[in-house]
Amino acid sequence: MSEQATLARPYAAAVFKRAKETDTTATWSQSLAFMSVVLKNEDISVVIDNPKVNKERLSALMLDICQEHINEENENFLKLLVHNNRLMLLPTIAKLFEAYKAEDEGYIEVEVFTAYALSKEAKQNFTATLEKTLGKKILMNVAVDKSLIGGVLVRAGDRVIDGSIKGRLQHMQKALQ
Amino acid sequence: MQLNPSEISDLIKKKIENFDLSAEAHTEGTVVSVTDGIVRVHGLSEAMQGEMLEFPGNTFGMALNLERDSVGVVILGSYQHITEGDTVKCTGKILEVPVGEALLGRVVDALGNPIDGKGAIDTTETAPIEKIAPGVIARQSVDQPVQLGLKSIDAMIPVGRGQRELIIGDRQTGKTAIAIDAIINQKGTGIKCIYVAIGQKRSSIANVVRKLEEHGAMAHTIIVAASASESAALQFIAPYTGCSMGEFFRDRGEDALIIYDDLTKQAWAYRQVSLLLRRPPGREAYPGDVFYLHSRLLERASRINAAEVEKLTGGRVKGKTGSLTALPIIETQGGDVSAFVPTNVISITDGQIFLESNLFNSGIRPAVNAGLSVSRVGGAAQTKIIKKLGGGTRLDLAQYRELAAFAQFASDLDESTRKQIERGQRVTELMKQNQYSPMSVAQMAVSLFAANEGFLDSIEVNKVLDFEAALQLYMKSEQSELMSNINATGDFSNEISSGIRTAIETFINTHSW
Repeated sequence: MSEQATLARPYAAAVFKRAKETDTTATWSQSLAFMSVVLKNEDISVVIDNPKVNKERLSALMLDICQEHINEENENFLKLLVHNNRLMLLPTIAKLFEAYKAEDEGYIEVEVFTAYALSKEAKQNFTATLEKTLGKKILMNVAVDKSLIGGVLVRAGDRVIDGSIKGRLQHMQKALQ
Repeated sequence: MQLNPSEISDLIKKKIENFDLSAEAHTEGTVVSVTDGIVRVHGLSEAMQGEMLEFPGNTFGMALNLERDSVGVVILGSYQHITEGDTVKCTGKILEVPVGEALLGRVVDALGNPIDGKGAIDTTETAPIEKIAPGVIARQSVDQPVQLGLKSIDAMIPVGRGQRELIIGDRQTGKTAIAIDAIINQKGTGIKCIYVAIGQKRSSIANVVRKLEEHGAMAHTIIVAASASESAALQFIAPYTGCSMGEFFRDRGEDALIIYDDLTKQAWAYRQVSLLLRRPPGREAYPGDVFYLHSRLLERASRINAAEVEKLTGGRVKGKTGSLTALPIIETQGGDVSAFVPTNVISITDGQIFLESNLFNSGIRPAVNAGLSVSRVGGAAQTKIIKKLGGGTRLDLAQYRELAAFAQFASDLDESTRKQIERGQRVTELMKQNQYSPMSVAQMAVSLFAANEGFLDSIEVNKVLDFEAALQLYMKSEQSELMSNINATGDFSNEISSGIRTAIETFINTHSW
């Protein structure tokens, strides 16, 4: 996984720079997401791994599938990936692209788990507090996880803020050992 | 079921009262791969070098490789239950082990957990295993001796408090025996001992513990054991663990002696960890930082001055210097001291005690090669009387070595050469000493005096040890006042000199051996 990120990073950086230049980050983001979904299809990955399918046929196939969702530059990028035998990196490239985009636009994706569903007001308050602590705009995904018993668990990238009853109980268990 | 002392309800109540209820913020990552105790973790962007990381199942690891997208971690302990996808938490702490007086008399593993079945260790203090050695200002030069209790070493290769003296030799040359004798001889001197066993058989470690108990030396000793069956990571950190336990005493103005048995195996363990972490191999497949591995460890053995001790104890201990003396052990292969790790450690330490297998096999035990062994700083720390009397011994042996080849033509040699050879033979014989029988300064002084003043010249070579034993017995029973006087002061005056001379003369005239 880490090696994949190393390989994908130059592609993602190049795509992001180009997207910034042409001011098309949003469309690039969409088409990269679409292409990643396509690649996750099992039939497609079988085709990619099949040595009998040559590069021309593969790029023709990919362009055929994606034609409605991609523009000319996306097409060139796809061809380049096929040419370099790096098609399977696309999901990683898409992920890194999103990371670059998020950093550039100054927001951070946050996953929030709560024991009970939050009211709209509570959600707003919570967003404001989180934005203050993290120092960035946030894009919040809220999910309900009953196993937390109570409280919230926030996951922003690598950082985890554990304010759940479950976490505290575990903490206490360790302290008493 | 037995009740654990930590289960007393008052204690639990107090713990709950003081329990910190704030939300806990930390960084998390996921395990990507597990190979032979090395785990790659994705995420953990804020992990520090050497930081302790928490795995599920109360397992801890140490971050060693910080890469762009992943962190290379060694697991401390068993890693069978760790699987791909497990979450890993940062703790924000460098690995710490318990330290303190309570550890004396105990056998612990590389993480400071007791393994002697004597229950929990009653100490609250901990110290990080990696610490930077004391600076230049904090240090004081070595000027007090550590008596190892072995004639050949204390007379010719003296060790001072705060010195690093390497014990080097092939397998089966008595390296550990010297170390154990050194520990036994510290009984009643106030020097605390730490014996770090790295990559040894469990049976050997059990043997050492039993021998120390038999000689009443466990009371002032801590044993840190990372046996051959434990993971390479634990064998790699064990010396640092022991060192932190020793520094506890040093920093409180006391004296401590630490033995690393042996650093070759630690270098092997570190090589294994490094290769599995895919660090590039260098000479003998060791990683590039194997010199630093040992230099940073041995640099922590030092003598610190009274001002530093006062600073470290917050003024509680005044006017006392602290020291940590290190006796690292290195095992050579076929007497090759020019291999990578032996040359490194020789260059780091303040001298070496070189043991040879042919000396050992010809019955000279301890098998110290007096020509190749040196002590670069110990001379300043030697007791006056041993310094005065030991100088002659060293010279006698050096001259003997040059002439030894001619020994078989004894009848054709001139008088003075023959005398030198005979003196050398007797001094070599006198340097032999049984295991587990360390000698006091006074006992050594008497033996050395007898050799220096030519009392041995008229005794047959194979009778020298019998003579010495009888003489020591006589001195102990008839001249105890003189002996305790020497032990107390360590000075060499005309009065003491004539005292020993008359005692030996009386002994020769009145006793047989």
